[in-house]
Amino acid sequence: MRDDGYLMTRDLTAGRTAPLAAGAERPGDESVRVNDVWRAFGEREALRGVSLVVEAGEIHALLGPNGAGKTTLMRVLTGMLSPDRGSVEVMGMRAERLVSRGYRRLFGLVPSGDRTFYLRLSGLENLRFFGRLHGMSKRDATERAMTLLAMVGLDDVARAPVNTYSHGMQKRLSVARGMFADPPVLIIDEPTHDLDPENAERVRDLIRAVAHERATAVLWATQRLEEIRGFADRVTLLHRGEVKVTSSVPSFLAAVPDTSYLVHIRAADGSAPTAAACLVVLGPAATVDEAGDEPGHVVVTPVTGSTLGDALAPLLAAGYDVLGVREERPGVERAFLWFTREDGP
Amino acid sequence: MSSAAAARVEARKLAAFLRRDLLQALSYRAAFVSDIVNVVIQVIVFGFVSKLIDASALPTVDGSWISYIEFAVVGILVSSFLQLGIGRVSTAVRTEQLMGTLEPLLATPTSLTVVQLGWVAYDLVYVPVRTIAFLLAVSIVADVSFNPGGVPATLVLLLVFLPFVWGLGVLGAATTITFRRGVGVVGLVTTLLSVTSGAYFPVTVLPSWLQRFAERNPLTMTIDTARELLLGGSAGWNEVWQTVAILVPASILTLTVGVAAFGLALRRERRLGTTGSY
Repeated sequence: MRDDGYLMTRDLTAGRTAPLAAGAERPGDESVRVNDVWRAFGEREALRGVSLVVEAGEIHALLGPNGAGKTTLMRVLTGMLSPDRGSVEVMGMRAERLVSRGYRRLFGLVPSGDRTFYLRLSGLENLRFFGRLHGMSKRDATERAMTLLAMVGLDDVARAPVNTYSHGMQKRLSVARGMFADPPVLIIDEPTHDLDPENAERVRDLIRAVAHERATAVLWATQRLEEIRGFADRVTLLHRGEVKVTSSVPSFLAAVPDTSYLVHIRAADGSAPTAAACLVVLGPAATVDEAGDEPGHVVVTPVTGSTLGDALAPLLAAGYDVLGVREERPGVERAFLWFTREDGP
Repeated sequence: MSSAAAARVEARKLAAFLRRDLLQALSYRAAFVSDIVNVVIQVIVFGFVSKLIDASALPTVDGSWISYIEFAVVGILVSSFLQLGIGRVSTAVRTEQLMGTLEPLLATPTSLTVVQLGWVAYDLVYVPVRTIAFLLAVSIVADVSFNPGGVPATLVLLLVFLPFVWGLGVLGAATTITFRRGVGVVGLVTTLLSVTSGAYFPVTVLPSWLQRFAERNPLTMTIDTARELLLGGSAGWNEVWQTVAILVPASILTLTVGVAAFGLALRRERRLGTTGSY
């Protein structure tokens, strides 16, 4: 807090890459704790005993399909929704009844909705307005807005009305607003689900930098399974309001059965080989199954530790032609299906 | 931070609301211009109506006859504050709901009181400016003269009147948050208060049961006192304090009920999880 009453959760004047000040959050400190939260809407239970912890500097992916309870959990965290049972704490402060102003200073929110800005105002004016509601002076809010607009790549349209922004630009503006007061916790609800790959990567890079440089705890709700690899530190899989698994991303992926491939093969004599014939050639490097009634198509699953190349090498050596290969399902998607199947772990 | 510094920070947020709404109003240039044109048209219309109405049908002010436009202009002045207080807060809530900005706004560390005041900050500046423009237009076009000595007392009167209508406005906002289209409920209250206020016609023409309501209507009392102050010559602070003595408890009542209802409405939304719905 500065002498002039400028309300900031953390001191931004230190710069984005400056070391953390004494007393600031350190990686590993607990920033968010969700403890056995239950919430129902009528007969439908949206959250069923959800518990999780997000640490400072951690990107924690909240993974789940539509209706899993991700947005409900985020709304409980922001105080927009009260739980039926259980509790949530942000930086050790518990959300109760109408959450206090002190609590609201602790998090930045990037909502999932499409319309969250004053459309006739510019991006700069929108950010400046929300910045001033965080207690900043007009000058500081303007400087911070310009910095953030540059960070999200919107500085060239800073003074254009938001109603001229594309959907992706509005999403980036929303991320900038969430980061405005440099909160210790960022709550981000599906920010990339309808962004093109370039914009999605840009947003992820930004959040990754904030999490690691500012030790910001990030709770990132997504149903894009592929984006957690190489981005999130830990993942909680939510399904029908229940936590199915919480683990590091590598552990999550390692728990998944091996990836399968649909392979179109032609024998040296031009005939379409059966799965059994292929298996004789492949040996122990992979399992082979028929792929329906399509002649010459088999499903090849390399054993753990083997690549598809390893698995197919004997076939190629025996004079078979590989006419096409298609991954049966993306690895992370298989992980998702594996964990959410009725008889899953 | 001391409570005084915190209050300063919160008060500074009102300037942000003011700027936001000014920029939005200016972005609708046609609406902005047409409102000014409407002021002029209003004066012309009341000027014509004034020619049809015999001054003897109207109540006297300070023992003198007044024209209809003189009678109506003070009613319009006070009524515009009623519209501001009651209508604006509800409209602002509804607009935030429809624009999807209500949840992001409530997620900021801003007190509910500042949010409620922020919603009317622009109108608190704009309506008096518009009213002054209206009075000037009336003075010039319809040759109506006002008692300059009554202006300070009228301002005090309006300052005390505003919390009364603002309390009703916050109550209306609570109904908007709860029922979404609560502006209809607010509109009914506004209509009832306006019809029995004597703003456009003397309350003596009302049925006797409505007259009894009108006698207790704070809007009627405020308009009557403002007429005495602006059009008469002898009314002074004594008349103001008598009205203020009624307005203060009425304001406390409406503000208390309004703020409590607003808090309850938000709590209910939080319980149901429908804060951002519309």
